[in-house]
Amino acid sequence: MKNIFCIALLWAMATITWAQTPATRVTVQGRVVDTASAPIPFSTIFLLNPRDSSMVSFGRASENGTFTIRNVKQGTYLFKISSVGFFDHNQVLKTGDKPVEDLGTIKLKPITKELIEVVVKTAKAPLTIRGDTVEYNASSFKVPPGSTVEDLLRKLPGVQVDQDGSIRAQGQEVKKVLVDGKAFFGNDPKMATKNLQAQAITKVQVFNDKTEQAKLTGVEDGKKEKTLNLELKEEYKKGGFGKVTAGAGPASRVDGSDIPMRTEIKGNYNKFDAKRQFSVIGLGNNTNQAGLSWDDYQDFRGSNSFNWNDNADFGFSGSNRFIYFGNDDDETLGIPIGGSQGRGFTNNAAGGLNYNYDTKKTKLSTSYYYSQTQLSLSSQRNRRTLLENGGQFRTEEASNQFNFSGNHRVSLRFEKQLDSTNTLVVLNNSRLNNGNANLFTRQDLFRNSVDFSTRNTTNTGNTLQQFGSATSLIYRHKFKKKGRSFAASGTYQINTNDADRLLNARNEFAQATSANDVLRIINQEQGTVSQRSQYKASLLFVEPFAKKYFWETFYNFNLRYDEVDYDVFNVGDASRTRNDSLSRYYKNNYLFNRVGSSVRYSFKGMNISAGLAGQQFTLDGRFAADQTAATFNRINRSFTNIVPNVSLNYDMKNNRYLFAGYDVGVQLPSSRDLQPLIDNSNPLYIREGNPDLLPQLGHNLNGGFSYFNPGSFTNLFLNLYGTYYVNQIVYSQTIDPQTLITTTRPENISGGRNLGSYIGFGFPLKKTKATLNLNTNFNFGRNLTRINDVLNETNNRNYNFRTRLELTPKDWLTFYANADWGIINTRYSLNTSQNQRIYNTNYNGDLNLKFPGDFYLNTSLNYRIFKNERLGFNQQVPIWNASAYKILGKAKKAEIRLTAFDLLNRNVIVSQYAGQNYVQEERTRTLARYFMLSFTYNMRGVQAKMRKNGYF
Amino acid sequence: MKSRIKFLCLCLLINGSALAQQTEGVVSYDRKSYWTKIIARLTFLSQEQKDRAAQTWKNEDEDKEKMKLLFTPTESVYTYLNDQGQTEDGNYSWRNRDLLLYRNYDKERKTEIEEMLGKTYIVDDSLRTPTWRILDQIKEVAGHICMKAETEDPIKKYKVTAWFAQDIPVSAGPERYSGLPGLILELDINGGDVIIEATKVEFKPVAAEIKLPKLKGKKITNADYDKMIQQHIAESITAHRNPYWSIRY
Repeated sequence: MKNIFCIALLWAMATITWAQTPATRVTVQGRVVDTASAPIPFSTIFLLNPRDSSMVSFGRASENGTFTIRNVKQGTYLFKISSVGFFDHNQVLKTGDKPVEDLGTIKLKPITKELIEVVVKTAKAPLTIRGDTVEYNASSFKVPPGSTVEDLLRKLPGVQVDQDGSIRAQGQEVKKVLVDGKAFFGNDPKMATKNLQAQAITKVQVFNDKTEQAKLTGVEDGKKEKTLNLELKEEYKKGGFGKVTAGAGPASRVDGSDIPMRTEIKGNYNKFDAKRQFSVIGLGNNTNQAGLSWDDYQDFRGSNSFNWNDNADFGFSGSNRFIYFGNDDDETLGIPIGGSQGRGFTNNAAGGLNYNYDTKKTKLSTSYYYSQTQLSLSSQRNRRTLLENGGQFRTEEASNQFNFSGNHRVSLRFEKQLDSTNTLVVLNNSRLNNGNANLFTRQDLFRNSVDFSTRNTTNTGNTLQQFGSATSLIYRHKFKKKGRSFAASGTYQINTNDADRLLNARNEFAQATSANDVLRIINQEQGTVSQRSQYKASLLFVEPFAKKYFWETFYNFNLRYDEVDYDVFNVGDASRTRNDSLSRYYKNNYLFNRVGSSVRYSFKGMNISAGLAGQQFTLDGRFAADQTAATFNRINRSFTNIVPNVSLNYDMKNNRYLFAGYDVGVQLPSSRDLQPLIDNSNPLYIREGNPDLLPQLGHNLNGGFSYFNPGSFTNLFLNLYGTYYVNQIVYSQTIDPQTLITTTRPENISGGRNLGSYIGFGFPLKKTKATLNLNTNFNFGRNLTRINDVLNETNNRNYNFRTRLELTPKDWLTFYANADWGIINTRYSLNTSQNQRIYNTNYNGDLNLKFPGDFYLNTSLNYRIFKNERLGFNQQVPIWNASAYKILGKAKKAEIRLTAFDLLNRNVIVSQYAGQNYVQEERTRTLARYFMLSFTYNMRGVQAKMRKNGYF
Repeated sequence: MKSRIKFLCLCLLINGSALAQQTEGVVSYDRKSYWTKIIARLTFLSQEQKDRAAQTWKNEDEDKEKMKLLFTPTESVYTYLNDQGQTEDGNYSWRNRDLLLYRNYDKERKTEIEEMLGKTYIVDDSLRTPTWRILDQIKEVAGHICMKAETEDPIKKYKVTAWFAQDIPVSAGPERYSGLPGLILELDINGGDVIIEATKVEFKPVAAEIKLPKLKGKKITNADYDKMIQQHIAESITAHRNPYWSIRY
């Protein structure tokens, strides 16, 4: 029987040999069985290249364990059999001249129950050998919690730890212990093993490393040192980075005034591991840099720099989710960001601490930030104001002010995933502000531009202390059914203000008809104590119905409570008397309720939603000259309306998007606009509040299209938007024909509108080398104001054209140029002869050069032109900046830089503005030419900024 | 006791699957990309910029996509699990970029429909199998014991680790990877930059479902495709842009 088989085999071999002379191709065959000689079916057979284990061929055993791999090239292979539940079989296979290589019966050993559990459960082999490196998987060797690495090492096969802590691996003494490949506390191997926790380790590697001597000299001395490397688990990885910049420049004398020495210092440090991050930041300068740059802000706040979904006011999803509250001139509670140059001359100092703790389930972030700014500002303004009777007057104004403002800011954010369906977010942002301001103003008024009419000089001294805090709690729940969710939120906001003002004003009226009216002197002390509290609650429920459809329902409750105590005293030579016509005590409740519902369709990038909301505002207020007054004036107003909301977002093929929407934005009047107070801090421009104000409604319609080609980076963006206002909050003016004193009062006027468009197009002129961007926008506005009870209609037509060229031809050369042209056409129904045309033009070029030896040069020229032909105004401001810097050292961690700011010494801040019934140009003195030499050290290395924008 | 039952289950599972030799079905994968890790690979960024991105975005650097692979012993199709992309709650949806990778292992052919760089391309060419190195580790993925294999992407120059199931003797796999003795259930691209992990393996007849949709797009060959990717990566690096923003990692 056996012989017959042999003959058959020989015959088969002969055939193969015949077919493929010479026998360069062979057939490998055999049979796989277990230790009890029972066949193992379907095991995998590999032929690997012995050099790098790369797979050359594979086969599979049959149900009875036999396998045949045909057509194998002659050579040496690593032959491997693998079957689940058995140890792999490995052998070197060298095919000879025989056309069939029969490996006979191969026995696989079963993996014991214990071991397969270890292997499968930990998904890790306890030990692997790669070249001369033995690698142990720390988690496969159990040690009690709190054990040190030394305890872990004792458990590793092949490793011994002596009584004194010295380590031997494979019989040799371990000379070096590394942590993540780096030396740990000098060279005593015991330091790391005795100090590190075993649970921080993921792998232990033992290998032979070159001696320090060999590494240092580069001369291979043939000696090897047993080295142990401990690889840390991801969450135990630590890092730190930071940088510091310090610079100074000489004092100078500009236009007869002394400009003191320029100094600048800033630094930050950041320490983190996988869960925690701690950072400190500090800055101080007199170069008008008050806020943090975005980069500094991100380094400071880390994972808490940006948070989505922290809005506690639920509403229509998509556009305008929120109800806007009028801005009360309060500085925001958040940390000020913005690297732009400030106005005037400022001294700035700031510093803060931030701590973040992030895990999948719990996220905590806290920060404290203090900032202070001392500002010295002097401006000149020239304003032309139109009157209802076709007349006009001109104002020449010069002002000087010295302000100090110090702000303490504290923030807290805590997010907890209670379980897989419930999330809680707690937020608090608070600010405490101490400030004072001294303002000196002189105003000259000329009737019909030429006849001197009125002169005012005012001195005001203000001190104030403000506190603001907002706390929100947001709870979100996801139901089992996909898409069904519920959210609830509550917010408490408080703002207090305690301010005192000393007002000293002298008003002279050259055209007064009676001698008594020639001179008016105001000498007052004005004290304000105010408190604004706001209680908010919101609910949101989302229910998916049918496929692709969602039904969303929300409710908002909002109660704002204002209390103001404003006391004015006339200060005489000897006495102080209360001014009852200006003093006010005022209390009000502003209640807002909204309930809304919408249906949303979402499928394959088509997202459409439509909804309606009903809202009601109730104002309940009372005021008198003093809280002790016998009778109070009462205000009771209520206002109800229904607002629709529609939005569309369509994600089309090839990165094209279409969007459109209609919504009604609601802006509640600010506290300041509502207060029935008379603010005479500028005696020629008196501001009154209006407690009867209704919320402003804006019907917003917008639509657009965008396209982006990620291959060529060609992009196109089109947008058209329009707003129609109902009950727009507008400052109406009453101008005394005799004294030209203006009194403004906010009022609700319907009929204002605005229509605008933006079109942008960008494309590469030459791939990676040159890009051109073109964009244009226009804006047509119709603003209504009442001037001495006559409705004036101001029509603004603004056109802007911008072009930007980016040249990045070489690594050592980049150039950016842009040109902006802006035209503002303003027409007044009151007086068409005063129609204005304002031109604002800006040209900018920015060149970056890199020279050998890490030497860099940056220079930019900015040329701004402000023109108004009617007023004969034409101002040109060329600003030329340059800096040269060198990056130092092999590791490129330091930089030395010489900066020249405004080499031509022409910097001045100019603005032109055409308002409802006036046109104004303003010039403000600001920091001009200075030089600075600065030094930067960055632990992470300094990188030259040759290119603008990010890396997206 | 508990561990004993577990072991028993495991044995049953192993034996069951080994004996049945099921070779047709659907695998669902979670494809997670960690974009701060990818950013950290960009040569033109400074260490400071990389650290800043890693710290700022560490809570939201995971981008998850659900994918599926239909397989038979001779053919496979890899595409999105759903025909639209959507937020976790399904409340907002977007269009998926075209992506369908068809393979015929018998004929050694492939047809790939992929939208990238602003266009849909169709690669209709022979199937190339990467050179796999077989390693000694095993682990369990979606209830199957998998062996480890490694290769390097010749164009993108990164390491790819595959875990393939010995008990599913099918050469198919997710993305563009195949050619192992078993079905690939997990791919780890470049040390965790992108991880494609099977969440569910279902055995059922799917041969009828494996078919190509209408082919609309620009027809190119393997060589064209490689050249385009190579050029795009080189250009993006020159222009200081992330190349993987507009092509699949």
